[in-house]
Amino acid sequence: MIVLAGTDYVAGTDYATRAVPLLPSRVNRAVIAIVRVGVGLLWLQNAGWKTPPDFGRGDPPDGLYLSTTYAVSHQVFGPYAWLVDRLVLPNFAFFGWMVLLVEASLGAFLLIGLATRFWAVVGMAQTVVIMLSILNAPHEWYWAYVLMLLAHMALFATAAGRYGGLDGLLRPSWQGSRSRFARLLVRVS
Amino acid sequence: MRTRDSLDRGALVLGVVSIVSAVFVFVHGTFQLVQIGAAGLVVALVLGLLAVVAGWLDERALMLGAGAGFLIAAAVQLVLLAGGRSGFLGGNASTFSLWLGLGVGLVAVGLAAVPEATEESLEATN
Repeated sequence: MIVLAGTDYVAGTDYATRAVPLLPSRVNRAVIAIVRVGVGLLWLQNAGWKTPPDFGRGDPPDGLYLSTTYAVSHQVFGPYAWLVDRLVLPNFAFFGWMVLLVEASLGAFLLIGLATRFWAVVGMAQTVVIMLSILNAPHEWYWAYVLMLLAHMALFATAAGRYGGLDGLLRPSWQGSRSRFARLLVRVS
Repeated sequence: MRTRDSLDRGALVLGVVSIVSAVFVFVHGTFQLVQIGAAGLVVALVLGLLAVVAGWLDERALMLGAGAGFLIAAAVQLVLLAGGRSGFLGGNASTFSLWLGLGVGLVAVGLAAVPEATEESLEATN
């Protein structure tokens, strides 16, 4: 039997597939929903300056290409700088598209609160990648990226899509389904 | 107790989000979260209204239609961006991201089975 600290909610093993409200307060649920939507909008807006097909690779470089070159010119972590120099920059069209699709998806899914815990983990990984590229770049405030990381950790820990998001609406039907995909969605929401 | 009402409300909210996004036709600079052009405005308003009506009337076919419409619009915007321009839709990757979310959301809600309400679903929608 599990007793959640700070709440009156108790989950027994009989209720393993049933929900236990993590946030009993309506105010807390609203705040978590606002944080999720805010983080989603962060990714959504910043997908906008990822501009295919060259993603800023030109003379002079700008946009995503310029940001990525900082991993080499203002090195944060040697092996990552080597990887960017030898693999990412020479194949930048591919990696530019990957960044665009990942960040646009982060915006899309966090905004609507679908598979939120999965996308929170993706957001953490993408934030670390960004940190490894530009943490030592000029005019960057490293706490901004630490805060991004912490925000995604909060979304994951609170299963933020269950509050004002589609995860909260759809989990009951996923829980009632025997399909593997539905079970997967229960786990990532 | 059923949770269909909650799903309908979800579709309605997604439609309202699309309609509200139309305001970004007039917002530029720092606070322009998404780039909406003239044709994009039509997409946002027509499909958003369709989603609102679908949620209001509990019409799952309409939800799926609106969702499919957003996904097609997102795909077209992405293809246009791949050509190096915003194209006739006038959007950018933010527009793609927004329409992707609305499309996936409406399709997910439209396809959802209607289970008995659980304590969690009630908590989530309160």
